[in-house]
Amino acid sequence: MSTLHRLKQTVSTRIQQRPVTQAATSRIAPDETVPVNFTVNGRPATVHVAPRVTLSDALRDHLGLTGTHIGCEHGVCGMCTVLVDGDAARACLLLACQLDSAEIMTVEGLGKPEDLHPLQASFGKHHALQCGFCTPGQLMSAYDLLDKDPGIGRDELPEQLSGVLCRCTGYRNIVDAVAEVAETHPNGLPAPRNCAATELLPRASVGGPSRSAVGVDEVDLEGIAEIRMPQAEPTVSIAVHQQVRAEPQQLWSVMSDTERLARCLPGAELVVDFGNDRYKGRVQVALGPVKLAFLGDIHVVERDETTHTIRALVQAADASSGNVQAEVVVAVDAAGSGSAVRADARVHMTGRIAQFGRSLASDVSKDMFGQFTAALDAMARGEEPAEVKPPSALAMTLRIPAARVRALLNRIRGRN
Amino acid sequence: MKPAPFGYVRPAEVGDAVAELVRADQEGGGKVLAGGQSLMPVLAMRLGRPATLVDITRIAELQQVQVADGELRIGAAVRQRRIERDFGGVVPLLSRALPWIGHREIRSRGTVCGSLAHADPSSELPAVATCLGATLDVIGPYGKRSVPAAEFFTAAMTTVLAPVELVASVRVPLPSSGSGFGFAEVARRHGDFALAGVAVSVTSREGVPRSAVVTAFGVSDKPQRRDLTRQVVAAVNAVGPAPEALTSQLVAATEELADEVVTTEGDSSGSPAYRRRLISALGARELARAFNSSMERSTR
Ligand SMILES: Cc1cc2nc3c(=O)[nH]c(=O)nc-3n(C[C@H](O)[C@H](O)[C@H](O)COP(=O)(O)OP(=O)(O)OC[C@H]3O[C@@H](n4cnc5c(N)ncnc54)[C@H](O)[C@@H]3O)c2cc1C
Ligand code: FES
Ligand code: FES
Repeated sequence: MSTLHRLKQTVSTRIQQRPVTQAATSRIAPDETVPVNFTVNGRPATVHVAPRVTLSDALRDHLGLTGTHIGCEHGVCGMCTVLVDGDAARACLLLACQLDSAEIMTVEGLGKPEDLHPLQASFGKHHALQCGFCTPGQLMSAYDLLDKDPGIGRDELPEQLSGVLCRCTGYRNIVDAVAEVAETHPNGLPAPRNCAATELLPRASVGGPSRSAVGVDEVDLEGIAEIRMPQAEPTVSIAVHQQVRAEPQQLWSVMSDTERLARCLPGAELVVDFGNDRYKGRVQVALGPVKLAFLGDIHVVERDETTHTIRALVQAADASSGNVQAEVVVAVDAAGSGSAVRADARVHMTGRIAQFGRSLASDVSKDMFGQFTAALDAMARGEEPAEVKPPSALAMTLRIPAARVRALLNRIRGRN
Repeated sequence: MKPAPFGYVRPAEVGDAVAELVRADQEGGGKVLAGGQSLMPVLAMRLGRPATLVDITRIAELQQVQVADGELRIGAAVRQRRIERDFGGVVPLLSRALPWIGHREIRSRGTVCGSLAHADPSSELPAVATCLGATLDVIGPYGKRSVPAAEFFTAAMTTVLAPVELVASVRVPLPSSGSGFGFAEVARRHGDFALAGVAVSVTSREGVPRSAVVTAFGVSDKPQRRDLTRQVVAAVNAVGPAPEALTSQLVAATEELADEVVTTEGDSSGSPAYRRRLISALGARELARAFNSSMERSTR
């Protein structure tokens, strides 16, 4: 080999030629997929990736964290800016496999819709975004800047913020927004608002895009996390009463058997029973082009035989659209020759599903509840319920006023 | 744009990294992966398709920065932003040049040695290393060698490195008393590669210039280092040290310099004539400033 030969002539000190010590060397073949563990927004995450998968793709496609945008994919535009081990970096220029044990923070970690970080609030106040495409990158770059140098002067901002391009705003409003935060927090930027270990994004949603987002093989078999309801106002509150033919005792016999109860819920399925009234389950919802597959944790916290009431906490995520947390109470009372079924739910939504709006979300939820009680009634009376299908495009459009469906479609087209 | 498939190895020791490079060289070609800030775009655009990337960033030995024996020694895994943040002012010319490299987000990952190995002719660090007479420690299958920066860069994006070698560290001399520095460049936007730039180092004693070096970049296939001591001495004798007068007096010398070093063809961003103007204007100004700061540093 000629290079080696040439090198032989030029070296001054000799080192011993040695075989590769395999132990400490990580090696991944081009077509091999390996698990990579890191922390995203304070939560442990695992992605299964081949070497060429970038961090930006891993975040978006494997973890459903689509807040990190992709523009050029070669380092120029800054759309993909995230924090890696505390410093802002281009996610499109990093390989996911390089980052095991790294700490990553994305725009999702910065704040929540109901609890925005001051930087996010300031962007809103100063109209520092129009289309919003660059906004996650701008926010993460600005966060990095003010985190290291909180007292930075306004004059320095244009240069320091030049790493992320914006095609809409002309930058002045972005500089105004960041300058105000620098002025109001001269002694240190407030911490991110959504990096705590509470409100866990179920680890089960970590994995491949659609297949493994709900795949049983991805389920964390150790159990479910403690579910805590947010303090804020729920996104939707639902209270539904329905008269059914079955008697309370018949209904209760189904309700006290979680397996059978789950079969009454359209599109739902129990995946794992951990005992102790804790379960992993999934629900599929299809609304026109929208297909959501929620996988999450269910904890039945109360079963009252005397009042025929069950209360459950649910925490579920769809890989790309967001999280749902809900407290659901179902109670049955004797009424007339049959029973009255009452359901009350307080539902908190974050992520893109929150954009569906309250009315549509409650229409969908009410429709699901309607199908649920019908199925519950049938099963309680010993009929095998007509197959409960996930709320489907056709069924939904029949029940929900067309105008609402159009509004939803517009939102999806405009914002996706 | 997604890169074509490649294999990935992350050795924990320098010797293993070299062994991996040798192995990769025999099996379809390998590339060192440091900060990835130049390599990843090349892969994404499929301008390069190495079969294997050898990630050197977790090799503890290469993560070291040391100030010893009159030098700042920077290991190959050390990122630009770390030098900027933790070693600011240790080598003043380096501190002046670093903020010009891309953006914070780029410097968070990009390494000092990676920029040297990449040898982009418009890059700041090759010019700084050349101007200051830095030394690169190169390691390969048959041992180590030390290469002065002046000999390291051979052409655009080409160095004396063999595919089985890596830069283990760069050693940059610390400033002596009575030294002053200048740095300037012009780019279309902040963070873009320079159309033209200069790195300047001057030493003086008791108001008399002892040495004056200008390194021009972005104007030819590699950094161009020229000794202008004689011209600076003559200009100081003629008009004294006041920066403005000295700058005007030096322009004739830097125009001559510019005529010699600007060899790139023009492009849409600037003609050769424009680049010559930049080199002569920036060169004269930075020489005058560097001389003045060298006097301050020697009288202190
Ligand atoms: C948007 C953007 C703007 C930029 N602007 C500038 C700028 O203005 N000025 C500037 O100078 N740079 C700029 N860069 C490039 C940046 O500075 C890179 O960090 C640097 O050029 C390469 O360093 P790296 O550690 O990222 O190397 P990598 O990208 O990992 O590697 C670059 C090349 O060098 C080789 N290599 C790396 N380290 C070694 C080593 N130790 N031994 C042997 N070979 C090695 C690699 O195999 C590869 O061929 C910019 C990059 C981007 C994306
Ligand atoms: S998508 Fe990463 S910089 Fe453009
Ligand atoms: S808001 Fe549209 S690109 Fe910045």
